[in-house]
This record gives sequence, C-alpha cells and structure tokens, in this order.
Amino acid sequence: MRCTIVPPHMLEHVAHDPAADPALRAMARRSLVLSAAQRVERRVGPVAPSPPTEDFVPKRTINDAANQETLPGRTVRAEGAPATGDRVVDQAYEWLGVTFDFFEAAYRRDSIDGAGLPMISTVHYGRDYDNAFWNGEQMVYGDGDGVLFTAFTGPLDVTGHELTHGVTQYTAALEYFGQSGALNESASDVFGSLIKQWHLGQTADQADWLIGQGLLAEGVNGVALRSMKEPGTAYDDPRLGKDPQPGHMDDYVDTYRDNGGVHINSGIPNRAFHLAATTLGGNAWEKAGRVWYDTLTGGKLSPTIDFAGFAAATVATATGLYGADAAETTAVRNAWTGVGVSL
Amino acid sequence: MKVTVIRSGGFAGVQRRGESDSGKDPLLARLVDRVDLTSVPPPGRIPDQFLYDIDIDGDTATVGEAQLNGPLRELVHHVLGRAG
Ligand SMILES: [Zn+2]
Repeated sequence: MRCTIVPPHMLEHVAHDPAADPALRAMARRSLVLSAAQRVERRVGPVAPSPPTEDFVPKRTINDAANQETLPGRTVRAEGAPATGDRVVDQAYEWLGVTFDFFEAAYRRDSIDGAGLPMISTVHYGRDYDNAFWNGEQMVYGDGDGVLFTAFTGPLDVTGHELTHGVTQYTAALEYFGQSGALNESASDVFGSLIKQWHLGQTADQADWLIGQGLLAEGVNGVALRSMKEPGTAYDDPRLGKDPQPGHMDDYVDTYRDNGGVHINSGIPNRAFHLAATTLGGNAWEKAGRVWYDTLTGGKLSPTIDFAGFAAATVATATGLYGADAAETTAVRNAWTGVGVSL
Repeated sequence: MKVTVIRSGGFAGVQRRGESDSGKDPLLARLVDRVDLTSVPPPGRIPDQFLYDIDIDGDTATVGEAQLNGPLRELVHHVLGRAG
C-alpha cells in the first residue's frame, strides 16, 4: 500500500467523505491530527507592536542529547549561564542570540512567535547525524558524520534557517508541501542568509548568498549546500551528487519526494530574493528583507499559496511600503519575472 | 526480495539511495519478515526531517524519521549504510 504525502485539503476531503474506504479515511484523519499538532497555533494577523523602546530579552536553553535520538535531552546551558567549554553547545547558544538580536533589530520581532517564546535547542543529536531540523517546538542539531558534513551548529545561517521555520509556523504557516513548502524553505534560507549578512555587516553585493557555507567536510567538492545567487552550483561531488536546485520556472522539478521537492524548488524564490536585493543594493535586510518579512508575517497569505500568489503578495507589500511606481516595487516585480514567475 | 530505500529531505536536501537483495543478505531477510509496511503512519510535515521511501518487492511506504522505529528503522539503516 502506498502512503504518499497528500496535501491537507485532499486529506480533509478523504477524512470526511462517507464514500471513501474506511481505512483510507482513518489514515487521512490520523495524518491531519499529526500535521495539525505540529503546526501548533496559527496566529491570525500580526502581533500587536511592542513599545519601540522595550528591550527584548532572549530565553535560551541548550540541551544535550548525548548522541541519542531522544528529545529534549539534558539541559547543559540556560539563559545567562557561563560558557560550558563544549564548543558545540556554546556555538548553538551564541547563534541563537545573534538570530534573536537580528529579528529584534531589523523587524522589532520578539523571538520566534513575536511574544518572547523561549528558544530551545538540542545538540549532539544522534550519531553521525547529518541534519538539523525544527520539530514544531524546538531546534535539533546533529554533529555531522565528519566525512561529508561537519557539525550543523557551525554555520550561523543553519540556526537562522531552523529558527525561521518557527517564525513561519507562527505566522504564514505555509504548508510544508509543494510550492507553499518550497516558499517555507525559501523563507528560512532568505532570513538565514540575512542574519549572517547582518552579523557580518555585509551589503547585498558583499554577501556570498550561500546557505550552509562551512558545512561540507574537507575533501567534498562544493562551497555550500545551496546558492541563492546561482541555484544548482553549490556542490558537485561523487558522493553527494550535484546540487539539484533550479533557478527558473523553466526548470521546476516535479517530484513527490522531499515533500514535493521543497528543498529543490526553493531555489526559484531564493533567486528571486537575491535579484530584488542586489538590484536595490545596500543592506538586504532593510528593503528586500522588509518586503519579504512583512509579506510572511502580515497575516494575508493562504497556507497553501503558490509562487505566483506569494510573488503578487510581495508586490502588494512593496506597493504599500514604497508606492506602486517606486524603484523598490519595480525591483520586486522584475525579480519574480526574472525567475519565470508571472505576475 | 529486492529492498530499496531512498532518503530525501533534511536540511541539506541531499538524496541517498540504497538497495539490497534479501536472498543474499540473511540479516535483511530476517528484518523483512518483521516489517509490516501497511501499518506505518503517514509522515508528518516536520521541516527538514528526513523522509524514507521504502520499497520491498513492489510494496511501498513513505516514512518520516520521527516515525521510524523498531525493525523498520533497522532495515532502513541497514540498506542505506553509514550515516543513513
Ligand atoms: Zn528547512
């Protein structure tokens, strides 16, 4: 029996269709319960703005899984506690702080949910574990196998990427499948990269626009895991294969794997963001980043929105911020048509 | 029986594939006997989790890493090998 990944509207249909096979109906309901539990609570509309003078304070907890795959693990560093001497633990703590500071400084956002949510990370997860993920409540990091990947706590943009999955969950709640899933992935890459640029004080033309630079172990033929500037060029290695990302709708990849190619087709909106940001120049988080952030958190997106719908929403946001004929709005419009998304 | 496992997803989005024949692999044969692909729950939509497509002689299932337990977990890691 095939248990493919089905979009939620189809699951809803099957779950409540009296003509459907009872086993299928039960499976659809189980699946809906699962994904609803992972979404937690969707905030409708933006969070009420905090007074501009209030200083937001992070609440970080780093847990150690001690190479097991059990969450959350043992707490090894809480907010304000001194460094532990474990490089992985201390790096995770630092990068959570930088990510928190970025969202406060750039967008006046107080943590993941906009209301001071504690940030929880588990490190040393599993053995030779080549991954990091957001499980709906916290971030989880593996140490990498040391042959293909180094520790996932190393690059700042990995933490930025995972934490932004939390921001998306509490705002647009983009369904993690197909084009809305690729937009969810892209939002995490966009803000992951912006956090790194902000931390390094880089303008759009100085940034590397790479995701996961430093994550590939020595000897692997590649510079990073993804390139927002030139999707499909980040790596080409006999053991890893070739970076499969397209940078244009002409090369859109239809697949059911990876939740419908969410880590593949995210190359298209990633490159759109890069085009908008480099056309506008300066600090990318200020204008292009502001347009993307307001679009993501503005409460107007459907969770199953496609690329064209999201593109139109960014143009509407830019129009609201800068005016219909402004250079910013034109840059956003041209960025989407530049990757083959028609408006 | 021919067993194929394809891992997709993960932060890196790097796909991995493994294949083995239980006729030539007694450990795999024992694992196949203990696995029931019809009873695995559908994968949840956890950002960046690994997804495993498992094919045992034409019977298929997609499993998320959070649901990967017991003999099915052993089978997946056995077929994919190191760091699977
Ligand atoms: Zn992701």
